[in-house]
Amino acid sequence: MRCAILMIICLSALPAAADTALLKAHCSRCHSGDEPEGDFAVSTLAAAVTADTVGLWESSLDYVRAGEMPPADESRLLPAQREEIVQFLEAGLRAYNRQQTVQRVPVRRLNNREFENSIRDVLLIEDVGTHLPTANLIGDSLHHGFDTHGDTLGFSKFHLEQYLESTRRIVDATILSTPRPPSQTYRITPRQIAEAHTSQNTTRPERRGTRDRFDFLDPLKAAYFEPFEVVPETGWYRIRIRCTGRDRGRYPSEETGMYDADPIQLTVQMGGRSKTFDLPDDDVVELELKEWLAAGTRLRLRHPTDGLRMRGNGNFKFQNAITGHYLEQHNPDLFQSVLASARPARNGRKRSAYDWHHWVDHWMGPRPQILSAEVVGPTFEQWPPQRQTRLLGSQPELDQATRILLPIARRAWRREVLPEELDPIVTLVREKAKSLGVVEALKEGVVAILVSPPFLLVDQPQLSDDERFAARLSRFFHSTGPSDRLRRDAAGWTNYEDVRRAVASEIADSEELPFLTAFPTAWLELNDINFMAPDPDTYRHYHRKRVSEDMVREVLTFFRHVVKENRPVPELLTADYSFVNADLAVVYGLSDVPADSTLRRYQFSDGRRGGLLGMGAFLTITADSLGTSPIHRAVYVMENFLGLHPDPPPADVEIQEPDVRSARTIREVLAAHRSDKSCAACHRSIDPWGYAFENFDPVGGWRDVYQNPEQKQGPSKGGIPVDASAEFRSGTRYRDIVQFREVMRQPASRNRFVRCFVVKLLMYANGVEPTDFTEVDRIVSVSAAHEYRMIDTIAAVIDSPLFREAN
Amino acid sequence: MKATRRTVLQGIGGALSLPLLEASAGDAALSSGPPMRFLVVGNPYGAHPDHFFPRDFGTDFRISPTLRSLDWLKDRMTILSHTDHNMVSGHGREISFLSGVLPADSQAFAEKNMSLDQLFARHVGSQVRYPSVGASLEAGIRMSWTANGVEKLPITDPQDLFDHLFLNLTPEQKAVRRRMLERNGSILDTVGSQFERALKQASRSDRQRADQFQTSVRELEQTLADRTTWLEKKKPSFDISEHFTSQVTIANRYDAIFDMIAYAFQTDLTRVASVEFPAALKYTDIDGVNRSYHGCTHNGRKEDLVSELVAIESFQVERLARCLKTLDAIAEPGGEGSLLDHTIVLFGSGMGYGGTHSNRDLPIMVAGGGFAHRGHVDARDNSGRNMPLCNLFVALLQRFGVERDRFNTSTGRFDLA
Repeated sequence: MRCAILMIICLSALPAAADTALLKAHCSRCHSGDEPEGDFAVSTLAAAVTADTVGLWESSLDYVRAGEMPPADESRLLPAQREEIVQFLEAGLRAYNRQQTVQRVPVRRLNNREFENSIRDVLLIEDVGTHLPTANLIGDSLHHGFDTHGDTLGFSKFHLEQYLESTRRIVDATILSTPRPPSQTYRITPRQIAEAHTSQNTTRPERRGTRDRFDFLDPLKAAYFEPFEVVPETGWYRIRIRCTGRDRGRYPSEETGMYDADPIQLTVQMGGRSKTFDLPDDDVVELELKEWLAAGTRLRLRHPTDGLRMRGNGNFKFQNAITGHYLEQHNPDLFQSVLASARPARNGRKRSAYDWHHWVDHWMGPRPQILSAEVVGPTFEQWPPQRQTRLLGSQPELDQATRILLPIARRAWRREVLPEELDPIVTLVREKAKSLGVVEALKEGVVAILVSPPFLLVDQPQLSDDERFAARLSRFFHSTGPSDRLRRDAAGWTNYEDVRRAVASEIADSEELPFLTAFPTAWLELNDINFMAPDPDTYRHYHRKRVSEDMVREVLTFFRHVVKENRPVPELLTADYSFVNADLAVVYGLSDVPADSTLRRYQFSDGRRGGLLGMGAFLTITADSLGTSPIHRAVYVMENFLGLHPDPPPADVEIQEPDVRSARTIREVLAAHRSDKSCAACHRSIDPWGYAFENFDPVGGWRDVYQNPEQKQGPSKGGIPVDASAEFRSGTRYRDIVQFREVMRQPASRNRFVRCFVVKLLMYANGVEPTDFTEVDRIVSVSAAHEYRMIDTIAAVIDSPLFREAN
Repeated sequence: MKATRRTVLQGIGGALSLPLLEASAGDAALSSGPPMRFLVVGNPYGAHPDHFFPRDFGTDFRISPTLRSLDWLKDRMTILSHTDHNMVSGHGREISFLSGVLPADSQAFAEKNMSLDQLFARHVGSQVRYPSVGASLEAGIRMSWTANGVEKLPITDPQDLFDHLFLNLTPEQKAVRRRMLERNGSILDTVGSQFERALKQASRSDRQRADQFQTSVRELEQTLADRTTWLEKKKPSFDISEHFTSQVTIANRYDAIFDMIAYAFQTDLTRVASVEFPAALKYTDIDGVNRSYHGCTHNGRKEDLVSELVAIESFQVERLARCLKTLDAIAEPGGEGSLLDHTIVLFGSGMGYGGTHSNRDLPIMVAGGGFAHRGHVDARDNSGRNMPLCNLFVALLQRFGVERDRFNTSTGRFDLA
């Protein structure tokens, strides 16, 4: 085998002499010597790829293929010559990739999402339990947004101890070894409903309901039932709440920040589980929930709204002034009498007529109202409860321990398990049964199965090829271990068409596919959206209406649409539509969007927006709080949409701190920066990917001029006009975002984007970037042959050895 | 808390002497005399340079605005200008603060990116009840890393910290705890031995994680065993309620944390403590601060935003200064001088200044530890190159009693005797 490989290298090295000459002729003027541009000397490529130079070969190929290198202004490379260099570089990489064994995937622990979902499915329960049993887990560190990155997910005694604790708590709320607790009925009057303090400052008394109702006045504060604040015993509970929605639309929508078309809602939060209901206006309904609640769960009720934060710093008390304005207009007599009886402030000063102090007692804002409630439980459909007998049988015997634990271990370890493999655990169970009793001892066995390497570590070597494929598929789509059905079926999916059908049905069958949320969140680093939130004084709407949540929902809704409808992958980037609601319409300057919070498909006709490139999420994540930086946006576009990795500035470079007081535009600052030769080499390649977005302010709103916050008055009040044009090193120019988006639709950019998307999918699946450049190229060509359709592309990734055989 | 030697003795009575007396069977080289301790305080964004670094060098410098609350300690501290870990710019590299090594590069180092505090904690070992204590509010800043290259997370709630350090269990609770320790021990025993062989079969590339698993099992077994031993021994009692009688602010929550650490040092519950000021915390409690910490660092040089940032940074130093006053008022229980003289104090960040994303010129201040302090020092060498911060760490290591003359990226030893 080795001989064959050597032969290939020799063969491919033969015609190489001519091409290295070409490389030398066209590249070495800049890329040679002691300080080559971009810190890259063409001689380092040598004649064949090695482990050390593979990255340079890949980026060289990418730049030459895209026409960016050699730069248009410095080279007269003929198209045929370019093609020659491309083929030379491709052949070198192909030869190198052929020597590579299968994609190495670092063994890693389950991340916290997978841990929760997997335990849920092993124990056949609806979720890990309402008592927040995993709240103690050490958080997963992210690697460029990904929580699946092998080398980042560490394992230590701290992790192991937290897993032990969490697992115990989950198992304790599933298998009940205590005597059956009696059921109780709690009847809750409005007076027994209290508004919980939000801070630790507990000196003020909590507000309670009146004789006949409890009103949610301050949406930040949750309410609780005093007789049933904490669930006393684990079991089924039936919760009935008689309630209604009040005063929707009484106050003007622009003052409350709540849309008249949105229903008033009530959220019942049971520890880690919550359910939200739409309430009818003024008609009393009885909500009924039947839930398995774990002992220790706190029951809380909330009014979920992003409104009622339009005044002052968002503190609810300031909103009460809305009542003053309302009464002045609708009930002037009351307005006058309240003011007449108002007492001056303690310091003797007279408060203004619209000061919130006067109006607290007259507040009539939109809110849920509870009239009464009843909780009954814990009840059990049988004893021991079903979820216990499902795992252990109704009367577990010690000599049946292996038979009982075997199916649990199979689900947990994602593979066939031989009975004798469980011997050490069964020995433990026997030992413990003497002091703890059979059920409690079996729980020890279940815990042991769940804190073992085959459960906590993914892709263990004991898995057969089929088992590993099923486990990886399930992790990819569902973030959990494979179901029995998937383990059975996946073995039969041996070719692309099988896989394509399977992927299509996975996507069609499941409404809440974790992939549809977890992947875009990681890829687009959505959790970073408020890492540097826009300035609260300048971008008030963003903060008052929690617009970042709408922006994230926009991305997820759009991504979901593209996947579910099997749209072409490039549409993600440059579609002419997106999903917006009234809050986003304010940011995007749209006037024809219904006034409510529902995201609806919106067709943009100006060529400026639509797809990820026009979304507030991308434009906000990449902005500073007061200004925008074309560099940050360029780096994001390169890393996440083009698969390019620009080097960070070297350690010894002096970085200019942005100065918003200055009248210089960012373009002038960067031009000065680029006059430094060592900076210029990289920045000429980076900056053009960012200038196009200069018309978007830090929250993604459109601007034609830079509004210097320091110069709202005075001579330059009009601001400095935005220039969003630039020229790529390929010679391609654009005038503004509209033309830039055209560039992004061209084949060169489109291929880079699809390639980048494929790499990100593999990153999500494998926890490491794929090492086989040639195979990724092949996946992209399969995708291209299917019009880049989403499902077809995902199928090509899953059918690839990079996914199937990764080990 | 105003603690003198007398109040401490009154407050603790017989309970205190127990951990002190029994803290002798350690594994590290034990010197006679009082132990050395280590307190490190870190933040994720460095400091606004013009306000942090004094304008003049030497021992006769004028205290800078950010460090003003430490003016009383001016003659007993060292501020280092021009040190770094030679990191490129950008966020995420500040996590190398206490090691000089990023997780991504850690394979090249024997102890990975193990941080200074954890190295000290390992050195102290089971001589004390808690090898190290880490505390923060809301979240951490990822500055503590173990020898496995795994992050050690701080306790983020003062009440949890209190329970951890000072809550004495009732006999019934102890019995429950002991049974649970024993049950967990059996499970680890079973799992550890059952998969030993399977993990050994793992291919070379998978070995690392497999080893991590086995190491974790062994270490946790040891920890549970230690815990079982310590379970029988009474903790010193302590009262932090004064911090929570009025409005709960981040100031009195941090003061509570620092008071608990000072007392834990005094009673030798621990000798290594780290306190973190995270990015996510709401600093708007502080007078004059309206924005997020991160938002203030990118102030675009607007004066009002810069002053908000400096208010946050000064706040961090003030909390530390208050703690150092406390430590300085307590006579060293087993020796000369104050507790502060026997505590190496380090304040700083792995980031130079958030506003420029620069990771050069880290803001670094050292106090206590019985050093002959040098005031404000320009650490550059003759050719004007910054000093590796690890050179300072070598000096701290030696003072702590760890016999080493190099640490990760050090090129020498910073002269601090």
